[in-house]
Amino acid sequence: MAIDLMSVAGWMKDFATQIHDNADLLTDLDREIGDADHGANMDRGMRAVIDLDPSTFPSAADYLKKVGMTLVSTVGGASGPLYGTFFLRVGTAWPDVENPDLVGLALRAGLDGIIQRGKAAIGEKTLVDALSPALDEFDANAGDGMGTALQAAAVACAAGRDATIPLVARKGRASYLGERSAGHQDPGATSMTMLIEAASRTLS
Amino acid sequence: MIGIVVVSHSRSLGLAVSDLAAQMVPPEARPQMRVAAGLDETTFGTDAAAIAEAIMEADSGAGVLVLVDLGSAILSAEMALEFIDPELAARTKISSAPLVEGLIAAIVTASTSATLEEVCAEAVQGLAGKQDQLGDSPADSMATPAPTEGGLRFSWMIRNPHGLHARPAAALVSGLRGIDATIRISNTTLSKGPVSASSLTSIQTLGLRRGDLMEAEIIGPESEKAYSTLTDLAHSNFGESKDIEPSINATRLDHPRQDPMRTGHQIVIGEARYIAIDPDASEYIAGDVPTELARLNAAIDAVAQTLENLDKGSTLGIYGVQLLTLKDEFTLDELRSDIQGGLPAIEAVQDRFTSFAEQFEAIDDPYLRARAEDQRGIQRMLIRALLGSEVSPGLASGILIMPELDPITAGTLDPELCLGVITTSGGASGHGVLLAQSRGFPLLTGRADARTIPDGTLLAIDPVEGRLFIDPDDEELSTLKEEQSKRAAATAEAIRLAHKPAVTGSGTRIIVEANIASIQGAHDGLEAGAEGSGLVRTEVLFADWDHAPSVDEQAEVFIAIGKALNHQTITIRTWDPGGDKPLPFLPQDPEPNPMLGERGIRVMRRLPDLLDDQLAAILLASQETPVRVMFPMITSPKEMLWARSRLVDATRKVGGQIQAGMMVETPASALRARDFLDLADFISIGTNDLTQYTLAVDRGNSSVTEVAKGDRSAVWDLIAMAADAFKGRPVCVCGDIASDPESVARLIAAGVTELSVRAPLIGMIKQAVRAVPCAVQIRE
Repeated sequence: MAIDLMSVAGWMKDFATQIHDNADLLTDLDREIGDADHGANMDRGMRAVIDLDPSTFPSAADYLKKVGMTLVSTVGGASGPLYGTFFLRVGTAWPDVENPDLVGLALRAGLDGIIQRGKAAIGEKTLVDALSPALDEFDANAGDGMGTALQAAAVACAAGRDATIPLVARKGRASYLGERSAGHQDPGATSMTMLIEAASRTLS
Repeated sequence: MIGIVVVSHSRSLGLAVSDLAAQMVPPEARPQMRVAAGLDETTFGTDAAAIAEAIMEADSGAGVLVLVDLGSAILSAEMALEFIDPELAARTKISSAPLVEGLIAAIVTASTSATLEEVCAEAVQGLAGKQDQLGDSPADSMATPAPTEGGLRFSWMIRNPHGLHARPAAALVSGLRGIDATIRISNTTLSKGPVSASSLTSIQTLGLRRGDLMEAEIIGPESEKAYSTLTDLAHSNFGESKDIEPSINATRLDHPRQDPMRTGHQIVIGEARYIAIDPDASEYIAGDVPTELARLNAAIDAVAQTLENLDKGSTLGIYGVQLLTLKDEFTLDELRSDIQGGLPAIEAVQDRFTSFAEQFEAIDDPYLRARAEDQRGIQRMLIRALLGSEVSPGLASGILIMPELDPITAGTLDPELCLGVITTSGGASGHGVLLAQSRGFPLLTGRADARTIPDGTLLAIDPVEGRLFIDPDDEELSTLKEEQSKRAAATAEAIRLAHKPAVTGSGTRIIVEANIASIQGAHDGLEAGAEGSGLVRTEVLFADWDHAPSVDEQAEVFIAIGKALNHQTITIRTWDPGGDKPLPFLPQDPEPNPMLGERGIRVMRRLPDLLDDQLAAILLASQETPVRVMFPMITSPKEMLWARSRLVDATRKVGGQIQAGMMVETPASALRARDFLDLADFISIGTNDLTQYTLAVDRGNSSVTEVAKGDRSAVWDLIAMAADAFKGRPVCVCGDIASDPESVARLIAAGVTELSVRAPLIGMIKQAVRAVPCAVQIRE
């Protein structure tokens, strides 16, 4: 069976809760190296997402694409097009059978979308630094089932997030700070970790 | 009239700037304008969907200019282009113009019914007026470098074939020397650095390979000058402009005409002489700090003197690099501070250069890794100088055994005294080894077993077979001497007859040609006796171009090659990218299995324009010099039919008429060669790929070379099948088998009519042809 619409909606609800509860943390992180809007922006976007009625969508894939479009139109900051692209691509590639390898490919399509949109590479202190190792671990553990793969991904994602602390930002507002951006955790990598951790709680 | 869309984080800013700009033109002349700004009246943000809608509304068929404020406005605008009709997206341009000034310039220009490009150009120039008035415009607005915190930033993709190795790195260091600016260089691709651009050693440890992104941060009073110097250096590929195989080419130029008998293939017999290349420093008695500093300076001067003398007699450039390595500011500072910290000069030299050498050895690139030898070469010379002995290891006689061969030793080897060299741990591609080989010294590298040979032992080296004879007995010795004189006689005979045709014992004429990858290679080929070329590797010929060469540029090179070969027929293979041969101007996504991926003609089917241009160039060249064309990686008649149809189209445009053939390099085309009889005027068998695809051995993987060298009966059968199908037409072999004298008879027996080989081997291959007796011709 597919990872059904309701599980995916549960994933979004869990993520929205995490974002809402940690909005101040995200905004504070963003204040250190950016424009202090990441928490508020993501919270606004995810609230609009949970206002969607999942039962009106024919499939999880369609729902995920709508999540992407909703974020594009409601987040406002750079996270809008970045997370928007992520969900649009994930939705487009979301499998209609439950197969961890295919889910891995869908998530990777999302990562590729983010890289393409933001022109970010690994090591530039962005959410790519969290998502990329997470998907590597997901793929490595996909053979042991969704649950194991997602748990491994969540652990790697958090490690990637923590590893952004010493990095010097090369993208976005933080890059204006140059060397001074080192020593701060990247807010985008932080929210991305919440997304993958939410997936490990809801999709396995 | 084009339309204009304003994208801003703030709705009030977006509306206000539109009102301001609208004042500039009367209402009836205003272009369509839409504002996509803010998430609502008060919430800052941008919305890709709203931008997409605004673009659709603003377009009246002439295109849309999108002006953005910053940050996510750019991302959202780019995303909007994906939401709209691709045709509309194609006539929509997101401008980097400043929002206020750019919008005003855009509205005014658009109202004159200017094109999208014209409006865009004006908008981007929007700041010029203000800059002029306030006098803070960058000196050269055409080449405005991107500012970094108070400095400039320069980015460049390295396209030198061996990356930023010693010579180009040295060109960079010396080019920037004396400019009053602090320049720090990083390898962005590997996230290494930044390091100072004044340190050759540090730059080399960045491991900048071809395709890596180099970034320089420039700060200081003369940063503009440094920026433009760096730009010039980069555009000349740091002095390596069109040098396709820099080390090899330079080596060849260094000793242009030495005794052609000294091929480096000769058997030599002589006494072992162990060169203690690492001098014994235990006798060194350290003085106080000023003494040690003075000794270091004296040693550096002595070594510099030796290097300068060597450099004068050489165009190789290696000694210049060594000089820069020696005088590297970073290195010298480190040495001095070590000595000031109480370390004797000799220990400072030992520690520092050992650590540099280790850094090079840690680099994941065999070419740069071999540069560790340069570091150790300098270290040895400095230590010898500090010990008060001769800087160079001396002119020893006999067969020299040494741990490794550095360029200084290689350059000072005396052909009157030194018979050959055996290294016990060095690799086969160091500067020193290349240099000694080009100077005609027989070499064996990496022979650990030679370490224990006592001085004075009688040795013999057969460099062709890679064999070392230790203390050969009388019988072995006489066999060796016999072989030695036989080989010498054969070389002499091959040289004497190199320019004569090669005919077998039964009277079959075999064409022996050169494989060509550069214009210089064509000159060398003619000199070696080539009867034209059976393979011109276009992808190697233009491998260091950052843009696809134009029709005229290609034609010019092809004509130059034909001319260099005395207007004998050359066979031009169309672009064969992919696998292990990427082209910088032809980006390809990495493939998990490139050898089985998009290679050769498969790439051209995706990018037919590149093939069309090349065919036009080949046809143009054919009007000046005899040319054939052949297509690589053909597996089915459909592909060949497609390639020929492109050739027909090109012929219609350019004129000319040429023979068209194909590479047979897959089992598919060899097995079904008969299917191509109506499509190919000739075939050329690429035995390297044919072997790889038949025996399932990766040609670049040294752990399976033994399989490739083993039983090749299947490959031989395929060669015979292909040649048989094309009986009566030219059948060429251009792979490595053709360069193997032992295989020549069998190839001819199979029906091969042309052999295209490495230029230096032409004489020998012609001799191998002549040695083919009547008997093998019995076949028909």
